[in-house]
Amino acid sequence: MAGTLTPERTARRLCELSADARAAVLLDAAGAPAGFHGVTGDRSGDFAELARELFEAVDRAHRDMPGGPPEQVEAQVDGGTVYASRTPRWTLAVVARRTALSSLMLMDLRAVLGELEGGAPIRRATAAAAAGAPVEATEEAAAGESPVPELGVDEP
Amino acid sequence: MRERRKGPIGRAAGIAEGVAATVRRMQREREPRVLVYDETGYARLVQPDGRGYERLLQTADRMVELVDESEAEAKPRRARKAGT
Repeated sequence: MAGTLTPERTARRLCELSADARAAVLLDAAGAPAGFHGVTGDRSGDFAELARELFEAVDRAHRDMPGGPPEQVEAQVDGGTVYASRTPRWTLAVVARRTALSSLMLMDLRAVLGELEGGAPIRRATAAAAAGAPVEATEEAAAGESPVPELGVDEP
Repeated sequence: MRERRKGPIGRAAGIAEGVAATVRRMQREREPRVLVYDETGYARLVQPDGRGYERLLQTADRMVELVDESEAEAKPRRARKAGT
């Protein structure tokens, strides 16, 4: 199906989705890199290895904590913030700018992993100028843009 | 409820308090920290003396360094490309 997210494209997809994401890597369940974006080829192996180590350290830290196993981690350091999210099949880690909003980055990670696992594709708004041919501004056209179906209006 | 200050000295003191609070907040935001989230999104702070804390920060630091190095390497290449 066209537009289906592949593991190779996932890291790039995340960086395209979030302006604050600088580089990302996707690991499979075995910890092998499945795709990366934002790091040079000679550094991608090290980058993937560090992403793997991140969750190893998270699991070690979690032994002292109550609650279920962590699914996401946020590590804020001087030069930026690293976010990572995992599912039973995939681990996605991203290096973001310090200005990134944690809640948004973590939501983007979950959304991209959800899309990779066959969930609904992430909808992105398009600028009016980029949307193509101008459409006459009518109530019907406006209703068509709304993601929420209007009550009392029959679907065509 | 906060008591309203009266007079120019009171207003100046209020501004100074606001600036001090902002500086404190910015310092706090710059401090290294690690948070882990469970499947419900519940966040827990990894304590600095906790197991794995140092390694988590070192790993994150190294990841940021790798990206810095990659971007620094890519920049002159992009500049050269644009110049040709």
